[in-house]
Amino acid sequence: MNRGLWDRETVALMLLAAYMPIALFWLVYGGTGALARLGIAVLILAVWNIAFMLARAQPPSFAALIMALAVAMLAPEDLGVFHLLLGISFGAVMGELVFGGWGRNVVNPATVALSFLGFGFPGFAWPGFDDPVIWAAIPAAVIGIATGVMPVAVLASAFAVGCAVVVTGVPLPENVLQIAGLVLVLIVADPVTSAATTLGRWLNGLLYAGLVLLFALQWGGAAPVQIAVAAALLASLATPLFDEMAVSLWIAQRRSRHGRN
Amino acid sequence: MPARMFGSGLAPRFPSPPADASDPILVITQEAGVRTPIGQTLRITPLVQQGEVVHQGAPVACLRDEPSVQFVAPMPGRVARIALHPGRKLSEIVLFHEASGDIVQHDHLAATTEPKLRHLMQAAGLWPWLRRRPFGGMPPAKERPAAIVVMAIDTRPFAPDPRQALMGRKDSFARGLQALTLLADGPVFVCQQAGPPLFDSADRVHMVECGARHPQGSAGIRVHALAPATIEAPVWDIHAEDVAALGDLLAVGVLPTTRLVRVAGAGLRDSRLIRTQSGADLRELTQRAALPGAHMLISGSPLDGHVAHWLAPRHRQVTVLPSPRPGSPKHWFIAALTQSALPKPVIPTAALTQAFGAALPAAPFIRALSAGDDEMAMKLGVLSLLEEDIGLADYVLGGEAHLADLLRGMLDRIRKEFAT
Repeated sequence: MNRGLWDRETVALMLLAAYMPIALFWLVYGGTGALARLGIAVLILAVWNIAFMLARAQPPSFAALIMALAVAMLAPEDLGVFHLLLGISFGAVMGELVFGGWGRNVVNPATVALSFLGFGFPGFAWPGFDDPVIWAAIPAAVIGIATGVMPVAVLASAFAVGCAVVVTGVPLPENVLQIAGLVLVLIVADPVTSAATTLGRWLNGLLYAGLVLLFALQWGGAAPVQIAVAAALLASLATPLFDEMAVSLWIAQRRSRHGRN
Repeated sequence: MPARMFGSGLAPRFPSPPADASDPILVITQEAGVRTPIGQTLRITPLVQQGEVVHQGAPVACLRDEPSVQFVAPMPGRVARIALHPGRKLSEIVLFHEASGDIVQHDHLAATTEPKLRHLMQAAGLWPWLRRRPFGGMPPAKERPAAIVVMAIDTRPFAPDPRQALMGRKDSFARGLQALTLLADGPVFVCQQAGPPLFDSADRVHMVECGARHPQGSAGIRVHALAPATIEAPVWDIHAEDVAALGDLLAVGVLPTTRLVRVAGAGLRDSRLIRTQSGADLRELTQRAALPGAHMLISGSPLDGHVAHWLAPRHRQVTVLPSPRPGSPKHWFIAALTQSALPKPVIPTAALTQAFGAALPAAPFIRALSAGDDEMAMKLGVLSLLEEDIGLADYVLGGEAHLADLLRGMLDRIRKEFAT
């Protein structure tokens, strides 16, 4: 029988294709160290995915590679293998696999893993990025939007806030906006854990950008990646509320127009 | 939704030989099957015996609970077989064509009031061409809908253009529309592509322009947008060609039983446009045009059709697809990597939003459908939809979400819990 393309794995592969520019630039500038971190992350996630496949008949997803990339890029530097193993395992298992795998998770597992690593091992420094890696987020977002796998409204609303900040000249610590943009594309624009309604997506992007702004101004000594990851975590927790609001509003508008649903 | 500026919906492409540009030819198959509308199992009383010769338009069965609603012979013929399921539910009544048969003439002049119009439509066999929402199937004999939606657009792949079916029948179409206003409490909406209206302005008849991409021309999406169906306020839909047939019935007392049908698909040598009767034999319609090898005959479009022997009552498409070849069984490890006991989750993408024509919040709707949240689904408009309306979404998601099955299960549950 005829079948369309947009099943879970196609979406995961499209997202992976969108993230290729970021991954390539990061690997080129990060060298063997970056490659080793990525390899470790992929290996840990492969083991957990196979474990859940065998234990719960839960098919693995290519989305694990996206999580591996996000964690390898954004995790605090100089963490040993054991720390990475703990953080990635916690994020993958508690953030995604226990819910039934990618597509059924509530928060992005990479955000959970990064938050765990940040809170658990505060002595390690958060990474910085070379400019080409940050600029590579633009083609990644373009590919994601063009293929329809990234929510346009989330990206657009957060970008609009970023533009407003630049125009009004709000004094922010160095690199916060750039790295917030990278995290926006890598983590916040995940189609599963971002809001699923148009209004919800606008609010989702606005909240993320607003939290980044708040943390940047009020959280003394926080690293840009730390600020962005914390904002992403809190914003993703609020997305079900945004969707609920958007759906309620849609139902109310429809009822007022037609007198019934 | 942002995609509205480009026109919402999708244009899925399926392989098929190019369509023959010539005028449609009339094909009356030697066998035809009378069946109930899709999604309904109806208890009937046969009105003919096997072997009996019937005229075109003669009643062959009626509903057991509402005898005024009759199923008629789509061609003059001999009754070959009457097949009933347990409980006297109609499976099929098969007719062999008799070229010398006559045509039944109805008393059309008397149908000036609503009860007489209903009686004429039910006696002439036009009632099964109407479809009600919620739940689908033909409406009860005495139901008055809140609105009627006339579909003069069909955006499904390979669908014949209803405007071509209406060519030269403007008066019949207008007469049919006027008659429909007698049956409904509310307005009659005529959905068509952008262009000159297909009818002269009339009281309570409204023209609605629709986009050219699917599912903009899907009746459920239009009902959802124009007059949402509820349990208390059912809405009917009918194809524009059937409205013209009603106009002809009112003018001359004879219901035209042929319709414009497109035969297409990857399993054919030639794609063609024909006029054939309701219940036509799909094998005969395709036997000289099909490519060698096993293939599936589908009544309906590749998105929402079903494998069938006879052209279904409201269908205007026949799709021929090569049968899938049985593959070797997968290694257990590969199967474990790719298959799962639970259906894979649906990821909200732009494709999913467009598969619903940006008409409703797609991801919350799918979640309500998957979780069996009947009340939320009703608030989101599930009562206006039927399986064919979400065929595109099912296709886009790779067929793994089984949305049509979920929708039918939910509608049956709602009917049981809320509508009785």
